[in-house]
Amino acid sequence: MIDANAFLGEWPFRRLPYAQPEDRLRKMDALGIERAVVSRLENVFYKDLLVGNEELHAIVQRYPDRFIPAYTINPGFPGWEHDLEVCINDFGMRNLRLHPNYHQYSRLKGNVPRMVEARGYPNYQQYHFLDDQAQALLGKAEEHDLVVLISIGVEDPRFAHWLMKVPSVTMIDAAEAVNGFPGVRFLICGAVFSEVNSLWSTAYHQDNLYFENSRVQGPIGDVDDLCALMGADHLLFGSNLPINYAESAKLSIEYAEVDSDVKQALFRGNAERLFGA
Amino acid sequence: MIIDVHVHYRGDAQLAQALRQTERLDMVLCLNSINLEGTASPHFPSAAFVAACNDRTLAAARENPQRVIPFWYLNPAHGDAACAELRRRVAQHQRPQGVKLWMALKGNDPRVDPVLDLCAEYRLPVLQHTNIEAGGTLPTETTPQEMREMAQRHPDVTFLWGHAGSDYEFGVKCALGLDNVLMDIAGNEATNGYTEMLVRHLGAERVVYGSDATGRSFASQLAKVYGADITESEREDILHHNARALLARQRYD
Repeated sequence: MIDANAFLGEWPFRRLPYAQPEDRLRKMDALGIERAVVSRLENVFYKDLLVGNEELHAIVQRYPDRFIPAYTINPGFPGWEHDLEVCINDFGMRNLRLHPNYHQYSRLKGNVPRMVEARGYPNYQQYHFLDDQAQALLGKAEEHDLVVLISIGVEDPRFAHWLMKVPSVTMIDAAEAVNGFPGVRFLICGAVFSEVNSLWSTAYHQDNLYFENSRVQGPIGDVDDLCALMGADHLLFGSNLPINYAESAKLSIEYAEVDSDVKQALFRGNAERLFGA
Repeated sequence: MIIDVHVHYRGDAQLAQALRQTERLDMVLCLNSINLEGTASPHFPSAAFVAACNDRTLAAARENPQRVIPFWYLNPAHGDAACAELRRRVAQHQRPQGVKLWMALKGNDPRVDPVLDLCAEYRLPVLQHTNIEAGGTLPTETTPQEMREMAQRHPDVTFLWGHAGSDYEFGVKCALGLDNVLMDIAGNEATNGYTEMLVRHLGAERVVYGSDATGRSFASQLAKVYGADITESEREDILHHNARALLARQRYD
């Protein structure tokens, strides 16, 4: 099995198991996960993302056969071009992680009200995902043939700390990025079932669009329905460790009423193709 | 054997799919219907709507006696009519059953008391929806603090504390020291450490497996039990021992 979406590191609001590499490897072994695409969890919150990316690079150097790095860049923060250069030239970056909602891309340049789909959180959605800097970053991703992981949401909003009510990236924003860069391969991470449905149906170009299933936790028959909607080639197993129990994504595929070769594709084949793993 | 204490009968197709999975997983569903085929769940359901929903549940229980335990949907705002509906259903179904209280009133509202007194007479478990989250709650949703008050006012009723409060870290702290509640893990995302925290603070004997299917998948909610760092004995308690014991002590007269 290949885990297409995971993090290493600590979450500020609760102690999570399997946050550190050695614990994670034991968990992966127990579940039969051979490799995992990982980003630094602290980079959801750090300003200087190079710190987290350097830590991630060091971990991957220790376990190159187990971890596939996805380095995080914030195009809303000064110096992102330098961070990207370091990641590409020094770390051999192949995969790029984006957190448009936590990083609030264009917010630091002044308020850009963007209230659609986030009316309940008027103070938290004051950014525009696809501003000029984000477009420049996605242009670089295309130039370097990076797989772009867009994190739609990281945790269940029910569990959010009262000071950290961060709404998911809207499907309007995600579709704008996907539709604007048909040459980029996108893996949509941490989307729930309705979001996957919505984005798939609004994407002009679906060939390069992929999803992982860590937060697709219903309705009943979710994996079956998504395979029917998109075909089995566009859905990947993803754990969202250490935030989620990895067993959720694993059992969701195991319980699906689909052929065993489809399950193999979800657990491994699709990730091998996307990440060249 | 697994007992799922929190399953909604949304539509016939979803129930059929759920029942297929129960065969594979050897699972029994505590089933309630809070909507009719093709309709949403009204916030203030009429007595006729409630009765029609319970007719569906009864039919499903009779068709699948080994797999379905009915939980009667009651709107406590109906007062005497809610009690009459419960008496009628108990008379119809002299087998294990429970009650799913609708959230037209907060659980600690005194107008809920007559229904709860009747549940105490029958020794029926009461599934109570609870919610608190940073994004806010609906006006008549029961918060964990209100759930605690409800449980303390009705010590003869055993409550299934729906969704463990939604924010489970908040909910579990509100449940400390109560011996007539079982935390139902249904509905929220399978978040690492969730079940471990409930077991650590309340003991595995105060935790039960529920899914909130068919809106949620069984897989995601079972992951909270199978993925938790707890003992096999604790896992068995959560998956079926606790619920079985609860359903075994009922009376139907």
